[in-house]
Amino acid sequence: MATIELKQVAKKFGNNWAVKPMDLTIADGEFVCLLGPSGCGKTTTLRMISGLEAVTEGAILLDRRDVTWRHPSDRDIAFVFQFYALYPHMSVRENIAFPLQAEGEKKENIDKRVAEVVDLLRIGHLLKARPSKLSGGDQQRVALARALVRRPAAFLMDEPLGALDAELRETMRAEIKQLHLAQHATTVYVTHDQVEAMAMSDRIVVMSAAEVQQIGSPAQVYYDPANLFVARFIGSPGMNLLKGRIDGERVQVSGAGNTVPIPASYRSALATTGGDVVAGFRPEAAAISGNGGSMGGEIYAVDMHGSYKLLHVSVGEGEGASIVHIRSDRMAPYTIGSPVRFDIDPDMVRFFDPKSERALGRGIASPAARNDSKREVGQ
Amino acid sequence: MFVRAGVRTPTHNNCDNRAACGVMTEVRTDPTIAERVAASTPEPLARRVRGLSDRAIAWAFIGPTVGLLLAINIFPLLWTVYLSFTNYRANRPNEEILWIGTRNYERVLTDPDIWAAMQATAHFVVWTIVLQTVLGFGLAWLIDRKFRGSAFWTTIILIPMMLSSAVVGNFWKFLYQPQIGLFNYVVSFFTGIDPSSFDMIGSVTLAPWAIVIVDTWMWTPYVMLICLAGLRSIPDYIYEAAEVDRASPWRQFWSITLPMALPFIMLAVLFRGIENFKMFDLVVQLTGGGPGSITELTSINLKREAFEKWRTGYSSALAVILFVAVFGLANIYVKALNRVKQR
Ligand SMILES: Nc1ncnc2c1ncn2[C@@H]1O[C@H](COP(=O)(O)OP(=O)(O)OP(=O)(O)O)[C@@H](O)[C@H]1O
Ligand SMILES: [Mg+2]
Repeated sequence: MATIELKQVAKKFGNNWAVKPMDLTIADGEFVCLLGPSGCGKTTTLRMISGLEAVTEGAILLDRRDVTWRHPSDRDIAFVFQFYALYPHMSVRENIAFPLQAEGEKKENIDKRVAEVVDLLRIGHLLKARPSKLSGGDQQRVALARALVRRPAAFLMDEPLGALDAELRETMRAEIKQLHLAQHATTVYVTHDQVEAMAMSDRIVVMSAAEVQQIGSPAQVYYDPANLFVARFIGSPGMNLLKGRIDGERVQVSGAGNTVPIPASYRSALATTGGDVVAGFRPEAAAISGNGGSMGGEIYAVDMHGSYKLLHVSVGEGEGASIVHIRSDRMAPYTIGSPVRFDIDPDMVRFFDPKSERALGRGIASPAARNDSKREVGQ
Repeated sequence: MFVRAGVRTPTHNNCDNRAACGVMTEVRTDPTIAERVAASTPEPLARRVRGLSDRAIAWAFIGPTVGLLLAINIFPLLWTVYLSFTNYRANRPNEEILWIGTRNYERVLTDPDIWAAMQATAHFVVWTIVLQTVLGFGLAWLIDRKFRGSAFWTTIILIPMMLSSAVVGNFWKFLYQPQIGLFNYVVSFFTGIDPSSFDMIGSVTLAPWAIVIVDTWMWTPYVMLICLAGLRSIPDYIYEAAEVDRASPWRQFWSITLPMALPFIMLAVLFRGIENFKMFDLVVQLTGGGPGSITELTSINLKREAFEKWRTGYSSALAVILFVAVFGLANIYVKALNRVKQR
């Protein structure tokens, strides 16, 4: 087991930055997700850690040892590829045994280790088969077994569940998490699926356009996004973001009669701005409130999500008009076109600078955010 | 596409929930082949086609091909088998044809000349395959490194294969000239041997190697191409996986490169084996089977027996024996190839 440290690591392909200089320290036994939209540089980052891609700048430390210019085979890492990359001409058993044979391990040790991981992943009945005959989930298990068999210092996984269907993904997600808990192995996991990242990781590295946007626990990136990108990207739908002007203890948004409260902890931070801010709140931060309520609008669409309903509310008119998402009771009898008023929990409101797009007054997150365990996040 | 011939039957049923059970059920029975053919045929022809059964239509389609195949492939084969049991001579068509049983076969199998030819063929086939496979795979492996100018070198290497074998035979004759030949000059340059002291074509010991060298020179590029296709078919991520699995380059070669390219290599061996078993033109051009009959391969021998000595029955028996041998070997080989490919 090992720590992983990236110091100003960057990669350029030709004249384009695939990854701009980034710092990241991963503790021993930690499960870290690299999360971001397609093409943001997640795979490139992972491949640099593995040594399959040379860095353009910076240094990579594995267990405090500088491995920047070491071969992948010198780094003692295991890599799980998106499309498994099993050896097609070898049986499942030969695939799993391959890393041990490559190390010149003794035969009885190989047999013992293979039997162990095969047990762990419950693929004993597949040992004689060729990879191409297996289902996607089984191929993924074999790929995991091949990675596990050697007890590497760290696991690197590049969208290992990307090619599976939704149901299997959830099963495998739980299995990988279980394996991680059992082995306590340092793991870097690449995904573009935020639900997966939320569910699995200790920490998430949110990336976009070759840059790290935020590094934090699932609860942090969910409740305290560092900037507008993270606020929009995390959660489905993302945070409601409304342009507004500070007016005393409230922010005026989306035209007349709509205001968002400013919690006491933010007042000093907001005082330094020119008055223009972007106010943000999650769909579950709004509570529908009969006829009172500091905001109101017309129901534009209603999505049934099973355990809850998501209301799309059209708020304001003209320039400030926008759609706000609100979570409501699954039994609530809202109809499209009817008016609705709601209040926003002051503890759950966040503010951003419209120019720099950065969060204002970060680090003064409400107790609600800090205490929330990640299991309650997302859906 | 088949709508014209298809039959659509709207059926109404009394069902209130439109979304759940649908208002209209479409039943489409598949049209027969005859109907489909008729639908895409001009009207006068279509009338003739329409009544036929699927089986009749199928026969109408494959009939001409089967007829042609029978006429120019199967019939001559059977006729050869028949002739091999007779004393027929094609240059004496008026003579009575006698059924002589297996006498031709006995004669072929006890003829030392035939065995000498078989031996020459085996020497030629085995050595060309060994050399071409080793060199072809080696070249492919080098070219696959994708160094600068590898495309240029690929083109250069492919040139011999593009020449006509008659031309190749002819100019290698000049290259092999003891006095003025480039081959002898190069050998003497590197070894110090007097160039006129050996004659590749004229010497009984060297001539079998002379034809092996020329064929290897000409066809190694072909084996290289097939091996290159095999190497290129191995995706990069397999090597990356092997890299993180800590396999040494040596192990990567033996555990991944070679086994994964093996079906391609085997295919190249099959093609070259078949080609060289029936090798004729290049060797005739180069040595004419000589000196003596040292490089007289079975195909050359067969041609002499059939069209110079006109022993048609006898040469038919030889042809049948060769056919059975090659067919049997090729079959066994293809089975092995399929087993390798199935992995
Ligand atoms: N070998 C390469 N040569 C040139 N450009 C590359 C190469 N590999 C990646 N890139 C570019 O670098 C950027 C980041 O690629 P990367 O594969 O890391 O993205 P990603 O976040 O993994 O995306 P995805 O979710 O689609 O896998 C992309 O713009 C990509 O086109
Ligand atoms: Mg990727």
